[in-house]
Amino acid sequence: MKKILVLCLLLLLTGCAKAPAETETIPESRLVVYTSHKEAVYRPIIREFEERTGIWVELVTGGSYELLERLEAEQTAPKADVMFGGGVESLESYRHLFQALRCQQWGTISQDFRQPEDDWTPFSALPLVLIYNPKLVDPARLTGWEDLTRPEFRGKIAFASPTRSASSFTAVVTVLRACGEDTLTALAENLAGCQLDSSGEVLTAVADGEALVGITLEETALQRIAAGSNLGLVYPKEGTSCVPDGTAVVAGAPHPENARAFLDFTLSREVQQLLGSQFFRRSVREDVTVPDSLPALEELALVSYDPRWASENREEILEKWEKAVKEG
Amino acid sequence: MFKNSFRNRLFAAMLLCSLIPLSICTALMTQVTRLQLDSKTREDGAEQTAALIQSMDFISQALTASAQSLQDSETVIHGLASGTGNRLQMNGFLFDATDTFRNLAVFDLYDSAGVCRYSTRGTVSASLPTDWGVLYGAAQAQGQPVYYASEDPSDTGAPLLMGAVQLRAQGGCCGFLVMRLYLAGFHSILDGKYSQSDVLILSRFFRPIYSSQSYLNETLAPALRQQLLEGRGPEDGDYIYTIAQHEPTSLYLVLRQPRMFTARTVRLLYTVSLICMLFCVLISVLVGLPISRQITSPLRRLMSAFDKLQQADLETQLPVDRSDEFGQLAARFNQMVLALKSNREELLTNQHELNEAQIRMLQAQLNPHFLCNTLDTMKWISKINKVPQVAVMSTNLADILRFCISAEEFVPLYREMEILERYIEIQKIRLSDDFAFREEIPEELYDCMVPKMILQPIVENAILHGVSGISGSVIRVRAAEAAHTLRITVTDNGRGFPPEMLGNPYRRDKGLAKGHLGLYNVDMILRRNFGEEYGLLLEPGEGGVGASVTASLPVRYEEEETQC
Repeated sequence: MKKILVLCLLLLLTGCAKAPAETETIPESRLVVYTSHKEAVYRPIIREFEERTGIWVELVTGGSYELLERLEAEQTAPKADVMFGGGVESLESYRHLFQALRCQQWGTISQDFRQPEDDWTPFSALPLVLIYNPKLVDPARLTGWEDLTRPEFRGKIAFASPTRSASSFTAVVTVLRACGEDTLTALAENLAGCQLDSSGEVLTAVADGEALVGITLEETALQRIAAGSNLGLVYPKEGTSCVPDGTAVVAGAPHPENARAFLDFTLSREVQQLLGSQFFRRSVREDVTVPDSLPALEELALVSYDPRWASENREEILEKWEKAVKEG
Repeated sequence: MFKNSFRNRLFAAMLLCSLIPLSICTALMTQVTRLQLDSKTREDGAEQTAALIQSMDFISQALTASAQSLQDSETVIHGLASGTGNRLQMNGFLFDATDTFRNLAVFDLYDSAGVCRYSTRGTVSASLPTDWGVLYGAAQAQGQPVYYASEDPSDTGAPLLMGAVQLRAQGGCCGFLVMRLYLAGFHSILDGKYSQSDVLILSRFFRPIYSSQSYLNETLAPALRQQLLEGRGPEDGDYIYTIAQHEPTSLYLVLRQPRMFTARTVRLLYTVSLICMLFCVLISVLVGLPISRQITSPLRRLMSAFDKLQQADLETQLPVDRSDEFGQLAARFNQMVLALKSNREELLTNQHELNEAQIRMLQAQLNPHFLCNTLDTMKWISKINKVPQVAVMSTNLADILRFCISAEEFVPLYREMEILERYIEIQKIRLSDDFAFREEIPEELYDCMVPKMILQPIVENAILHGVSGISGSVIRVRAAEAAHTLRITVTDNGRGFPPEMLGNPYRRDKGLAKGHLGLYNVDMILRRNFGEEYGLLLEPGEGGVGASVTASLPVRYEEEETQC
């Protein structure tokens, strides 16, 4: 009786006494990945990485700028190991957050995409393309950037605001490099003040016929076409840019060894092949060929694109662009 | 607040007495019940988990046993390695090897390039990459089985779990046995082994493979993984989790049982006990109010009764309307007041009687009746015998005596003065002294009522102690009225009082009365009759010669006297 009483009192004192949880052995080997990739892209890669290495991956997903700002905030005590995804321009502008790490496959990376300081490592190449609605537009009338300045497309160009979309900004810089400032201004004016909020809307707008033509990434266009959307695809004859997205290892990463393993894995032949076969992306490795359905990178007219220059002059370029859009 | 009010203390005590046991009881019951139910649930969970883990052996057995029997068959190994096996024969071996497991899973034979050659179901000639996924894993594992989770467990058309074993020919890989397990297979393996709970099967990296409720794949599985990575056990207020690993496949099995005692139940319990507590408070108030009123109101009445008593209201009585301690107290109080009252009345009566007796005794000191008659007789005898002085003296003395023994206590001032004159006449004859007597009484004061025989002792004192033996002395009696006080002053020009007698000597020291019993008596009569502010005042005479005795008393007339 007395024992029961004491027990009761103890229970009362300890309140919600927690029963011992059946804890599993907490995984030792881990990797924290911040990724801005779509789930379809990161999921197979992460799963395979886990299976092969036995490393438990913790994922944090979000927009690339959102994640980079988070990294910036956590700079003094980094939680993340790897920033997986994000255009190299954005990685470039946050390069102080990353540590230089040259991956094992550095030699296999195409000259065009190599980054001399190794603050980030290219992952996949994403050329810019023009898309059109084949039911409304004669393919012969759309061959390059200059065609977009024609009056027949005035107000009918689907283009995301470059202040919001990284790929749109790349497009602005590409046009500037390929055709010069005058064409860019003419293009801006030809939008008739109409800019979309996100790059995803570009494809919908063109497929629905709200817009006649649009500017987007090859990858997204091919994905939509594969999904059955009614879209035509044109590689601009003046030349296009092929800006890669990249992977970067966070400076002060809590699991540096695993981060390196992951970086190497993203450039492994298997993953790079997967890019072409599953994700409509182009490998950054020279020794991985593009699928037969796509034109080889060498066949495309490529303009030289300096991400560092682009990120350094971002404000100025955007200012001019917005001004021209307003005037149109 | 509690110190000053008995009522508040009573309330507090009642509340404590009801609330503390109630809340302790509630807390105890809640905890004990919760723990009891939880441990019961956990026991159940452990049993169910053990059964489930055991039935998961099917997965590993299916793959390893089939792989073993295929590996043992030289025909199969050769056929697979060369790619020339007879289709029907090969299928026959495959079906034989997977005989007992085929109803739950699909088995495929892949060649070393990852092309599917034989299958127990579905399309042949599909291919799997050998540098990626399950075949890569199987190749790395060198004949050990590997298990790969589906990338998307919500896609139930695809196999949820794939297991693969590399089949080996001399020195190298000749192909793979792949087992595909679909949703239906999991259902048949696990169903009936658990009840009233949910089952989740997770890969060795805690990725979801199968769940009894498909939505759990998207909600619970990531949460569990997050909790594991954060080093916390699976926690949930509403559920109890049991996690176990199936060793051969490295898969995790999670059993989620709803707590019988959920947060909601606890909330409900606490709500009920809260209502009980409110009820207790209500009862305390309802019971406490009358009780406290029963206690405090008689106390308050007693207090006010004491207040009245303090103000000398002896009519105070308490109502005696109950028979308990308070009733007894009230009765005692009433008795006490009554006793006090009768005591005081008795005291007053005694005092009064005493005073009257004293006065009567003082008066009676002077005279018996027969003296008067004797004196009358003496008067007549002296007249017969022609002794006029004796006749005068005896007449005067008789008058004085008659006056003394008369019934009335108070007489008009003129009567008093007449008697005083008789007395003076006697004294003049007796002492043959040569003193003059003057009276100066305003006529309007003649009718003032004074106690009888108050002037005689004063004048006697003046004659005996003041003027005797002094020739040419004068004794004056004056009367004056001021502010309803009658002052009768007897002055002489004789020896005067010794200094210790001046003022109101008899009030200071009764011992002084011994030599001056007359004056003392007069003072006493005045004070007893009219109060302490009246009496005799002894002073030196005018110009410091002789003595002056003033008797002060209230001015009263006959009619007032009758009123009294």
